[in-house]
Amino acid sequence: MKATVENIKEVIAEADVLASIDGMVNDVPLREQGIDSLDVVNVYLLLEEKFDVKIPDEDLEQVQTIDAIVEYINNKLS
Amino acid sequence: MLGIKNIASYLPQNKISNYDKKDQFELNDDFIENKIGVKAHALKEKDEKASDLCVKAFENLLQKENIDISLIDCCVVVTQNPDFNIPHTSAIVHGKLGFSQECASFDISLGCSGYVYGLSNIISFMKNNGLKKGLLFTADPYSEIVDSEDKNTALLFGDGATVTYITEEGIYIPKAFSFGTSGKDYKELICGDKLYMNGRAVFNFTATTIPKHIQNLLEKNGLEDSSIDKYILHQGSKYIVDTIRKRLKVDVQKVPFDMYDYGNTVSSSIPIILEKEMKIDTNRRFVISGFGVGLSWASAILEKN
Repeated sequence: MKATVENIKEVIAEADVLASIDGMVNDVPLREQGIDSLDVVNVYLLLEEKFDVKIPDEDLEQVQTIDAIVEYINNKLS
Repeated sequence: MLGIKNIASYLPQNKISNYDKKDQFELNDDFIENKIGVKAHALKEKDEKASDLCVKAFENLLQKENIDISLIDCCVVVTQNPDFNIPHTSAIVHGKLGFSQECASFDISLGCSGYVYGLSNIISFMKNNGLKKGLLFTADPYSEIVDSEDKNTALLFGDGATVTYITEEGIYIPKAFSFGTSGKDYKELICGDKLYMNGRAVFNFTATTIPKHIQNLLEKNGLEDSSIDKYILHQGSKYIVDTIRKRLKVDVQKVPFDMYDYGNTVSSSIPIILEKEMKIDTNRRFVISGFGVGLSWASAILEKN
């Protein structure tokens, strides 16, 4: 499965961390859009489970925005 | 049948408010109340040791149970913050409470899984050796090891102790246990000079391992969610308890959350809640589950006799 902006947003919705994902911006860090330090860990876990990839701690700087997550996961999957 | 006759706990009156740390750690009320789930954590006196907390828990037990101290024949303490490296804290508790010289005493070195392990240990040990009246203490005063500048741990842990009275007139009887260890991850929650916790690693472990572990325990014993009255989960944080509950797809009413006013008391968290839930007549079957340091986990099914 290839990662897309839509299915990253689905994961964020599944994590139940925001009242609505409708207003989310793809190039702004999740932490600046109302997702706190615990919620973002939950989002990363769900991403790991959904795409069967590992996001090690040292890569967390590379997965701050939705666009960056899409790119990171697709690089891992390719 | 050997089982839990009664439980008493002790939580220090002195509390540290997490609302006073809002500026230091850039917190808001929602994070304190709905994510961490600790408004204030209990703090023992500086010169109090684990054994002193155990003694206070036992004094509270005496308010509820008529116990002949000379008949206590087993004394177990679960702690990883003992009074001293040598001797074992259970010997100190034994001495302070004046138990007989025929009373067996030993410690169990486990953290958040320690109560469930301890329950299995003390009951097996008593059965195998014909013992009649045992006490299982939990006391892990983390205030001695937490770095007050570390956001990952300084908001969470509280001091406390419990004592579980085990007799042949048990009211709740353990029917099945299940245990697990992931020793390769021992560095994720570790104490050198001060406590260190990799919050992400511990969260991932609990979210992925514990729901499956509890489901397996139920399946192995032919039980479904509808047969369980309450799930008493170790109170790691509200976020962790909520995450496990959601992954188990269990009703929120069946998973008590209780740590708001005292914090994560490590091996004491399960018996503190069990003490309250045992008083509710309709609670006939519990799942109890502890998980953390080790990484280690253990769960059990308790049934009313």
